[in-house]
Amino acid sequence: MLRREKALGDFGEFAQRSDDLNKVLTQACRLVAEVLGTGQAKVLEIEEGGTSLFVRAGVGWNPDIVGKVRLPLDEHSSENFAIKAGKPVIMEDLRQEQRFDVPAYMKEAGVQALANVPIFLPGHRTYGLLQVDATEPRDFGDEDTEFLRTYTTILGPVIDRLLNLQVMNRAEERFRHIVEGTRDYAIFLTDAEDRITDWLPGAEAVYGFTVAEALGQPAAILFTPEDREQNAPQIEVETARLEGAAPNVRWHVRKGGGRVFIDGAVSALYDADGVVRGFLKIGQDVTARRRSEAALRESEARHRLLIGSWAQAVWEVDANGVVVADSPSWRAYTGQTVEEWLGNGWFDAIHPDERAYAERQWREAIAARGFVDAEFRVRAPDGSWRWTNVRAAPVLDATGRIEKWVGMNIDISARKRAEWALIHSEGQLRDLVEGVSQLVWRAIDGSDWIWASPQWTAFTGQSEVDSHDRGWLEPVHPDDRPIALAAWDKAGVAGGFEVEYRIRNAATGTYRWFQTRAAPRRDARGEVVEWLGTSTDVHQLKALQQSQAVMVAELQHRTRNLIAVVRGIADDTMEQTGPTEAFRLALGNRLSALSRVQGLLSRAEVEPVTLAAVVHLELDALGAGASGDRVRVAGPDVWLRNSTVQTLALALHELATNARKYGALSHDRGQLAVTWSEHHQAGERRLMLEWIETGLEHAPQRTQPVPDGSGYGRELIEQALPHALGARTTYRLTETGVRCTIDLPSRPDPHEGETP
Amino acid sequence: MTNAQGSVTGKRVLVVEDDYFIAKALARSLRAGGADVLGPVATVADAMDLIDTEPLDGAVLDINLRDGDLVFPVADALTERAVPFIFASGYSSGAIPERYAGIVRCVKPVEADAFRALFSPAP
Repeated sequence: MLRREKALGDFGEFAQRSDDLNKVLTQACRLVAEVLGTGQAKVLEIEEGGTSLFVRAGVGWNPDIVGKVRLPLDEHSSENFAIKAGKPVIMEDLRQEQRFDVPAYMKEAGVQALANVPIFLPGHRTYGLLQVDATEPRDFGDEDTEFLRTYTTILGPVIDRLLNLQVMNRAEERFRHIVEGTRDYAIFLTDAEDRITDWLPGAEAVYGFTVAEALGQPAAILFTPEDREQNAPQIEVETARLEGAAPNVRWHVRKGGGRVFIDGAVSALYDADGVVRGFLKIGQDVTARRRSEAALRESEARHRLLIGSWAQAVWEVDANGVVVADSPSWRAYTGQTVEEWLGNGWFDAIHPDERAYAERQWREAIAARGFVDAEFRVRAPDGSWRWTNVRAAPVLDATGRIEKWVGMNIDISARKRAEWALIHSEGQLRDLVEGVSQLVWRAIDGSDWIWASPQWTAFTGQSEVDSHDRGWLEPVHPDDRPIALAAWDKAGVAGGFEVEYRIRNAATGTYRWFQTRAAPRRDARGEVVEWLGTSTDVHQLKALQQSQAVMVAELQHRTRNLIAVVRGIADDTMEQTGPTEAFRLALGNRLSALSRVQGLLSRAEVEPVTLAAVVHLELDALGAGASGDRVRVAGPDVWLRNSTVQTLALALHELATNARKYGALSHDRGQLAVTWSEHHQAGERRLMLEWIETGLEHAPQRTQPVPDGSGYGRELIEQALPHALGARTTYRLTETGVRCTIDLPSRPDPHEGETP
Repeated sequence: MTNAQGSVTGKRVLVVEDDYFIAKALARSLRAGGADVLGPVATVADAMDLIDTEPLDGAVLDINLRDGDLVFPVADALTERAVPFIFASGYSSGAIPERYAGIVRCVKPVEADAFRALFSPAP
């Protein structure tokens, strides 16, 4: 009994001397284990949450148990029951125990009997358990139990005091850590006269003064001269004295005169009687932020100015592009009302063709958190469309999320018009340059080409690059190169040139004549910037000019021959008729025939003369074309050589004249058939014409023999045609009338030129 | 129509001309001057036949003959035989090779006086 009382006394004494909870609890375990003779005892603390127990202290237990083991506050455990019941639970022999589960570590440690006694803190808060363990079955008698209850009753307040002390210590430690550790906050204390009494490390870091330099100094040394002049230090302290605290947001002075912007406050400190005994001054150095804010304000002002002079509309939308704020400038730009603008109404102001594009731009910008830079049309207040350049940037919050977007519209209608005009005119010019048949090129410094049109490459086979400088000379005919270069020599003085030379065609490998012209392009000062040139294919023109020369010569030839023919005919005619009226008539008719056939020949180059045309020409001249059934003209399309036409026409004229005067066309019952066909002989295309008159036997006034007049026709058939045309001819006069055949070369191809 | 100098009288003159009427007129004109006309012929082949077979004193040659033939082979054959000749052509210039530069060229219709050049020293 005495031992127990002594143990209680010893513990109380120990507990008063020690502020260490662990040491106090360990001592408690030792004393109780000694008194009860178990050698083993421990304190189990209920952990936060109330679902587990922690072996807080103990004696007679291994170090890997004490301070280490946690066990769940099992429903079927004796510990739990003791806590819930609020009274000691004794287990005399664990081997016999059936009420409670026993933790494994206890069995392993050979515990046979134990006593659980709850520990209560003031206010009926359960702290945990005092557990006394015995390795032998043991009956904890009433005395033991009573002792344990008394012991834990003393233990509760001791633990409570120590726990509170622990919390305070931690808070103090934390405070010290914050106050002394921080360098961004300047913290110091002053006395009632505002002289510095405590100078913490943050204050030294911010203001630069050491503790020794700062202590005893009036706090006013930290104020700027301007503020001191205004009595700012006194006003601030008096405000704090009266109102408990005062803001301290102003520029301060560091050691050495530098300035630091402090965002802080002054708090009054009171003694137990409520009298101000000093001031706590805490402030944060926000100089950098202050400077950047000033810079920001400046740049904002600058931007506003810039935007105002650039942008037609300035606006803000939320993170998703939804309009939540009014934008008067947008409304002025588009004519939308506030209601139309808010939400997603701005889409309606975009041209229908570009809404999908604008929406896609938005979506991509939001996804990429990037800038928006898009161009599309928006409606103007007057209903017209104008081009706008939208630029928007995301504004991010502290966590990097998009807070909102700020954007603006820059009107680019004028620029677009200029662009289009340029594109249009460039396109037109290119179309023109590349569409014309001429080879187009540009040159500088005289003859150095800098560009050749696709036509040049297509014609010469020379690449555009290869034509540069004097490369263009390569396709020029070697004989013509001096001419081509000589033209350039005079170009500068003459202000251009025009020259003809030959250029090789890659497709045919032959040279064609080109007329090349160059004209200077000058700058504003009249200096030649470059030369623009064209080369026009004049090959066909030259060929035409040549053939025209040939034609003129041919015409000359024909005309002179014609006169010679006329003279010959006149001589022949006079020989036949003598210088009589008959001569005049016969010559007149023959010259008319000659004249008619000239009409055909004059068009022969364009429209080759057919045999049918010659036959009809002569028959029609006699009115025989209208003789109905009596005259039959039939044959395929046969073209005559130009050299053949005149002689043949004159021969047919004589035949027709004779028929009119004496033959088939001189009476109603006569018939004339002029027919022809083509055949080939010895590879030569020839035609066979038959002139057959019938019905002479029926003529009312038969004239026998045929008068002299027919003689000339016969001469032309039998002599002139063979002589001039290589014709084979027959001429027979029978009882029924004239039968005549003419076999002569025809013209193979009407569209092939004939050599004169 | 003719005088002693350059007269065609009694001369054997070849006429090469493909146009029937002109050939006939040339022949008539030469005959009127007392010449003995050979031909007229319209082709080089016929002319060559006569040159090879008949004695000749001179010739009147049209340049463009039938079928596009040119008379120059005939002219060369005559030059070879030293037979004088003149050209009668519808063309006022050109188309005559350089080697015939010394040959008198008449433009049709040929005047009878032109034949004198055949038998006179060149002017």
